[in-house]
Amino acid sequence: MGLVARVVEEAGIPTVLVSTGRDLTELVLPPRSLFLNFPMGNPFGRPGDVGRQRQILCDALELFESVTEPGSIVDAPYEWGDDFTSVVDRTLGAMVPGGG
Amino acid sequence: MLKPMEPVRYVDRLNARYAAQGFPPYRWTVNEEAPLTPLSKPLADSRVTLLTSGGVSRACDAAWDPDARNDFRLDEIPADTAASAFQVHDSYYDVTAARDDINCVFPVDRLNELATEGVVGAIAPRLWSGFMGRIYKRTQLRDVIAPAWAEELRLDDVDLAILVPA
Repeated sequence: MGLVARVVEEAGIPTVLVSTGRDLTELVLPPRSLFLNFPMGNPFGRPGDVGRQRQILCDALELFESVTEPGSIVDAPYEWGDDFTSVVDRTLGAMVPGGG
Repeated sequence: MLKPMEPVRYVDRLNARYAAQGFPPYRWTVNEEAPLTPLSKPLADSRVTLLTSGGVSRACDAAWDPDARNDFRLDEIPADTAASAFQVHDSYYDVTAARDDINCVFPVDRLNELATEGVVGAIAPRLWSGFMGRIYKRTQLRDVIAPAWAEELRLDDVDLAILVPA
């Protein structure tokens, strides 16, 4: 999707990417990105956590005013709270062509 | 106090999985530079749209194929769609939270609130779901599909787009 962000930006419409994969975003380098160190599937936080969802959306919007360096990745200052590596390992197989 | 968790190294983990299954190394897209288009007006005057690639569709539309490959389907989602009127199908990530509260991946309620409050000027009439993971036809994506979507945004007078990969 970072590729899509770049194309849309080049077409003259500014974009922000809300990312949970910092290394993936570093490779594709979208114009401006907010990184959440949260599990994939929770870029805006937890179900029902209206305040945090809103804050993350506002943080993403804020990048349109603060980012002047193309390809900036801004780290949001929030902690998920538990280690979600096991969640990642359960779903990562589906990202590989052969699955599993 | 637990030590803060380091960001997950998805690239390393995926490379290891490719190798373990006997695939040749995945050729990652690597860009050294990025474009940057400044916002042309204040946020409070800007019309905003939202795109998810998380297998999100309206309950009244077809479900996404959770294992889609090279799927260029792109759904238009009316901005006034109720948060309870979505379904989520994607094997790429744990969809439990998104099914419980679509705002975890597609913050349609929060964006409508910000528009109502005037934090942003307006929410665009059409929000979007598409560009689901595992698109390997990158040239077609870059040269045809993504520019066509940019044209749709222009038709809606969109000033900025928030993109949320799954």
